[in-house]
Formats: sequence, C-alpha cells, structure tokens
Amino acid sequence: MERVLVNIPSNPVFERVVRATTDEVGRAIDLTQEQIEDLKLAVSEAVNNAIEHGNKLASQKLVEVTFVLDSEQLEVRIRDEGAGIDEIDFSRRVVEEQNLEDGMHRGFGMYLIRALVDFCEVTSSQGGTTLTLRLYRKRQDHE
Amino acid sequence: MSDVIRREEFGEVAVLHITTNSVDAISAAAIEATATATAMRPITVLDFSNVAFINSAGISALLKFVVTSRKAGHKLFAMNVTAHHQKIFKMVEMSRFMPTIEERDLATYR
Repeated sequence: MERVLVNIPSNPVFERVVRATTDEVGRAIDLTQEQIEDLKLAVSEAVNNAIEHGNKLASQKLVEVTFVLDSEQLEVRIRDEGAGIDEIDFSRRVVEEQNLEDGMHRGFGMYLIRALVDFCEVTSSQGGTTLTLRLYRKRQDHE
Repeated sequence: MSDVIRREEFGEVAVLHITTNSVDAISAAAIEATATATAMRPITVLDFSNVAFINSAGISALLKFVVTSRKAGHKLFAMNVTAHHQKIFKMVEMSRFMPTIEERDLATYR
C-alpha cells in the first residue's frame, strides 16, 4: 500500500493543486484516461465542498487529501476541519427550466461525485467531515 | 472582451472562444461576467477547444449563457467539446439547453 498526502489551505485556487496531483496519481497507476478525468472531477467537487462548505473559506483551516493506492483500488479521502454536517444529498440534480428561471444554478457536485466513482462514503463529526471515494482498478481490465 | 473569452462575430453568429483551460471556481466569475446580451448574437456558440477541465462551478457559470440567450430568444450551441465533457453535459442535462454543433456547420454563416 502506498500513500500520497496533500494538504491545502481553504482557498479555491489550491483545488487545482489537488487536481494536478490526482492526474499524476492516476497516471502512475495506469488508470485509463476516462477514469482519470472522472476521478479529477469527483475529487475537484469534493475539495471545493470541503473548502467552501466545510471550512467556510477560512484559509487557516486545511483540507487534507490522502490518496491510498493498492493493487485493488485507489482510495481518496478528503477531510475538512469544519463543524461537521448532518447529511449530504447525493440525489440526481440536472438543469431544469424552473432552476434557470429561479437562478438556481448550483448543486450538481454531489450527484456528479456519486455518479463518477465506484464508491463514496461520508463520515462527519464536530471536528470535520471526511468524504471517501474509491475507484476500483479492476474496471480497466474489462475495457 | 475578457481574459477568459475571445469573441468573434460574423453575420448572425457570435463565437465565444473560451481561452482558459479550466472552467472552474477560479475562472467562473470572469466567464459569468461575459455572459451578457451584448456579447451574444441570434446564434451564439461557445468554443471549448482550449478547455481541458470543467466542474460544477464552471457549469454554473456556463448556465448564465443559457439564461441570457433564452431571455434574448437566441440559440446557444457548444462546439469542440471533448467526449468526457459531453458525457458530463448529458449527465446534468446541460446538453438539452446547449446542444453541440460541429465547426463545419458554421461555414454557411461565414
């Protein structure tokens, strides 16, 4: 098992650092390009949530991203230092006429995460929230 | 017109070339700021040829173009969209409001 650890301040510009790391890790373990693109988007959404909703953009609070690689899967844990959450809504969100008229143009992130990775799980306490994503490496054997 | 959009116009068509490679939380505000009625024409095309990454913050910014074009009664299209981004647009049903066209389809307007 190998680990890659990235800590970033809660400034959205550093989400790009995590995204670049995700790209490199995906290439290092020979994920397909499509898997890498899916994972980059899922991690991007999770990190932005941690920065904005978890740490409330408080730059002194860190978002910790841990990539755990083994022969079976790549696991990515995104942890914030926020006050915790009761629940996360992973339900499908799409662009709808009513949303456009109401100016509600956000909320696709959690749906995309759930749809793009093989597994996701949220654990939360008053000390922060961790979102765990998994991509099974066997998927590429079938392609 | 901005550091993230380069505008080209011919006849009834405006092509808005997105020049940033990342349509995300960082570039979203600048992209949204260009989604004005004056930037658009009856046929407005967003060119994604330089775009390597789009996330939900970026999609939210792009929806401003959808809203503005609908209010003006204009048609909005996307071109040079990667297969991955076409998949994402379909997942959130963005493609219903901003269908993809081919660059060659614009030739008749030039």
